[in-house]
Amino acid sequence: MGKKANHDKNDDKVFNKNILIAVDESHNARRAVSYVGQLLGGLKGFKVTILHVVPEPEEDYFPTEVEKERWLAQYVKRIDALLEDDRRFLIDKGFAPDDVSTRSTIRYCPSMAECILAERDSADYSTIVVGRQGLSRSEQFLFGSISSKIVNHARKCTIWVVE
Amino acid sequence: MMTIEEIRQKAARWLLPSWDPTQLRVHTDTTDYFGVEYGDVVILNGNPYLVRQNAKEGRFGVDDEVKFWVKRAIDLQTGDAKIIKLVFYERFFSHIGGIEFECFRSPRKEARILKLVVGHDHFMQGFSVEDEKGNVVRVLDVIQGGPLSKYIESLDMDHATYFKERFPEIFDRFLACVKAIEFLHEHGEKHGDIRRDHIFVDREDNRYRWIDFDFNYRHRENIYGYDLFGLGNILIFLVGKGDVLLFDLKNQESPHLDELEDEDLNIVFHNRVANLKKIFPYIPESLNRVMMHFSRGANWYYEHTAQLRHDLESVRHELGA
Repeated sequence: MGKKANHDKNDDKVFNKNILIAVDESHNARRAVSYVGQLLGGLKGFKVTILHVVPEPEEDYFPTEVEKERWLAQYVKRIDALLEDDRRFLIDKGFAPDDVSTRSTIRYCPSMAECILAERDSADYSTIVVGRQGLSRSEQFLFGSISSKIVNHARKCTIWVVE
Repeated sequence: MMTIEEIRQKAARWLLPSWDPTQLRVHTDTTDYFGVEYGDVVILNGNPYLVRQNAKEGRFGVDDEVKFWVKRAIDLQTGDAKIIKLVFYERFFSHIGGIEFECFRSPRKEARILKLVVGHDHFMQGFSVEDEKGNVVRVLDVIQGGPLSKYIESLDMDHATYFKERFPEIFDRFLACVKAIEFLHEHGEKHGDIRRDHIFVDREDNRYRWIDFDFNYRHRENIYGYDLFGLGNILIFLVGKGDVLLFDLKNQESPHLDELEDEDLNIVFHNRVANLKKIFPYIPESLNRVMMHFSRGANWYYEHTAQLRHDLESVRHELGA
């Protein structure tokens, strides 16, 4: 037997049943929703928020402000449909409608991971769920991995990365 | 403000004798950059610029590509040579090592950076001005000199001599460029197109200066990852006195070829060697370690330019004077 660990005040920490699923339009995000649905659907007490952070494009991305507004409007419409689809999926899996909410927020995100973690900080979620992007090493090197950064930087919560 | 007659007289000094001054065309709206041609004058904020030719850019031995939106010009007030970049928007998907990412060109970005780096020794200098239609035109000082890549390739000496006698100074000048990019990043700006031919060696003072800031890419998690990749590639290029390619090693029947493993290659360009110590054993281990961050064997990547700069600074004392 190993040495018994000293008691830490965090050992008694109470974890709530609030879950934040961060999604985008990818298949891996859908897998994250599916995982939560299969694992927790029908169980009492869990509350889920499905979050999408709309990455506000840099001002340089569009020649004019009008084009930017048009792009954002179309994007938000698409995301609203996606979030509603995910919400219905979870309800079909046994969640009470009142226990599943959606949220989309437009943010300028130099780091998407930090934007997602800021959302966690703004409400009380003990668990964040994300899909693994399945990036190659080269892609991770060039552009970074959202899930890896969330895992490395998250505090006061548990991260589920769904493969 | 100069009159049309004064503009004609001044322009005539710079143009061929066969040029007909009565045919002078003056542009205050530069939207149609194809229509701005040799001998035309562009008036920006009341100042006349005589267009002499379109700029060209060559890369990797490919013939020079004409950039129709970039004009070589003369400031008719001062007689100074200028480069005038007219507004050209493009958005496209670029591919690098099989990875696709979205790029776009932004005059506003370049204008912003020009303002940010006024007086900075390691950036091209200039200013932006709107034409009468609100196009953000950039007026740039000409750097007397050429791309760093051509300078390195022109050095006629073996690698050992280069590394001992020339590289320490080149390293110092490159380190100043890394700090310059760190300065951009600290101000929330990317360079966007960090390449070996986007550093110009200023003949006047031998300083290295970054050029071309109008490119941008849509970042994902790490906003500066692509810039950092560019810096790593230039570092490896400088240390190697050019790219060390597997193809060349094979052709030369290099004895080092058998020693190389996958993890010694560039993380994105798998035909380039990153572990240069295996080719040139006198490269200090500390410098090689920095380059290995850009190799397939890397298990930790730089996230911020300050990290790279810090590592390079700690390497300096091992390079000699």
